[in-house]
Amino acid sequence: MARQFSVRRQTGFTAIAMMCFFALYLPIAVLVVYAFNAGTSLNTWEGFSLQWFVKAFENQQVIEASIRSLQIAVVAALVATAAATMAALATTRTEPYRGLTLKYAFINQPLMIPEIVTAVALLIFFSRIKVWTGYSGLGYLIAAHTAFCIPFAYLPIRARLENMDLTLERAAADLYATPWKTFRYVTLPLLWPGILAGLMLAFVISLDDVVITEFVKSAGQDTLPTYMLGQLRRAITPEMNAISTLFLLLSICIVTVFFFVNKKRI
Amino acid sequence: MADLNAVEIRNVSKIFGFGEFAFAAVNDTSVAIRQNEFFTLLGPSGCGKTTLLRLIAGFEFPTSGEILLNGENIAAMPPFKRPVNTVFQSYALFPHMTVAENIGFGLQMLGRPKAEIQARVAEMLKLVRMEELRGRRTSQISGGQQQRVALARALAPQPKVLLLDEPLSALDYKLRKDMQIELKRLQAETGITFIFVTHDQEEALTMSDRVAVMSAGRILQVGSPREIYDAPTDRFVADFIGETNFLKGRVVSTENGIAEVDTGVAGHIAAALPTGFSPDGEVTVVLRPEHAMLCPPDAMGECQMTGTLENVVYFGTDTHYHVVLSDGVTPFTLREQNKPMQAARFAQGDRVGISVEANAARVLRN
Repeated sequence: MARQFSVRRQTGFTAIAMMCFFALYLPIAVLVVYAFNAGTSLNTWEGFSLQWFVKAFENQQVIEASIRSLQIAVVAALVATAAATMAALATTRTEPYRGLTLKYAFINQPLMIPEIVTAVALLIFFSRIKVWTGYSGLGYLIAAHTAFCIPFAYLPIRARLENMDLTLERAAADLYATPWKTFRYVTLPLLWPGILAGLMLAFVISLDDVVITEFVKSAGQDTLPTYMLGQLRRAITPEMNAISTLFLLLSICIVTVFFFVNKKRI
Repeated sequence: MADLNAVEIRNVSKIFGFGEFAFAAVNDTSVAIRQNEFFTLLGPSGCGKTTLLRLIAGFEFPTSGEILLNGENIAAMPPFKRPVNTVFQSYALFPHMTVAENIGFGLQMLGRPKAEIQARVAEMLKLVRMEELRGRRTSQISGGQQQRVALARALAPQPKVLLLDEPLSALDYKLRKDMQIELKRLQAETGITFIFVTHDQEEALTMSDRVAVMSAGRILQVGSPREIYDAPTDRFVADFIGETNFLKGRVVSTENGIAEVDTGVAGHIAAALPTGFSPDGEVTVVLRPEHAMLCPPDAMGECQMTGTLENVVYFGTDTHYHVVLSDGVTPFTLREQNKPMQAARFAQGDRVGISVEANAARVLRN
């Protein structure tokens, strides 16, 4: 019997795989380790200490930037996911028609256009609005984040809907469920893992954003990433490592929660 | 009420696409389905039987024509307002609900009180013999069990008409046989009109009170299984249901609805005429394989026709003989029931004589 071809048995497969993992995770591991350094150096180990974490928590600017980041990310992710859910329903719960592909392109546009272009465009656009309205609060950042989060939330929701049998909704309609009840009792419960994935993804993308935030923010509106970027211009201490480590912890938590929530369903 | 038809299709057409791509899935079709009837739509895939079912369910709307349910035109009514329920080919059970929740869904949507839903679900579980699996997820039960849940779910709201879209096609042979009997029992016990769609002629013949044979968006013949099988009026019907021999011939004389047809190679055959049909000239005579038999070798001279045995196929219950008649081109198939411990009587290449039972042949309308 001929043995089946398997890429895992090819020479060098393990070596290449290991190299990829090292390239991905080694720098992060180093960063995390030095967050616990007792000294001020980023590359000389001087003993274990939690002092940089304490420093980070005592730094008023870090606290404020973190709260601002979370505020923006929560609102932007919720609004973007709601919009993305509606968009996904509208583009999948229908017979294919001419122009549907164009709609996909429009919805996914922020993925294609270089972020810096969007950033500059928003800077100019919002500065004009600021002059007209006199308002210069967090609303601009939230609006911008919502906009670029939509395609990220849209993709997993649409993937979930495309795998969902249309016959289920037909069966619900056959069993006297009005369109709203069909959505409430059949579509939504089955779509929930997709929506949750979209929400998480949008949240993380918003939390992480630098380029657009840097251009759109007004004075004193630093988010955690733009604050850290600002700090780079000065002498850098393991405090940055500590903040990054906490950031990493948050995203690991989100991914883990999502994994278990998703596993429980069906 | 009793004399009203359960469902009446009046000149219904369903056209998909536009312009040169327009395609009539159902083409100006009319049919009446009686109360408490087990009615089957039979035809090959693409004949429009499923489209017709979906038009009755409300998943599609007719391009023209009327669909009456107990005398009321429901052609434009959305599916959730129609008192008909469907058993889907894929079952379409809700994967996020238990067996009991699936069965109760229709009543829940109708806003019935909880106590009534519970009682009805229990009754349905008993009817389909699934009581012990009520709390299971639908992904944790077998295909046959899913089938029963789908049936119970569709029957629970006590629909006026139950629509079944090839519900047995995913089951294996043995289970399919059991479910055929089960369906007949359920129909008798509930007294609900069943409209059953299938491409399986055996299923249609064994289960139905009446069968409609469809082809290319039209209903060709409606009748009891016996009528459809014994007296097909149409070449397609004769060919689709069972096996049939077609013999071309010329009408010599007609008397009391029986025509004497000269078929040349197969001699003169007396064939029944369809009512109100008096042909002259070319006709086609149909003859079922089980109504012909091989003559004993010593009586060859008295046979209706002779030919050469091309192929012998053993089926267990019976044996099929494929013969080419003495003109060397006309194929003829006949079937004989096997007797206990009988050795093969004929072999490939044998010259054989064939005789035909009286009153077996029929003339086709076209």
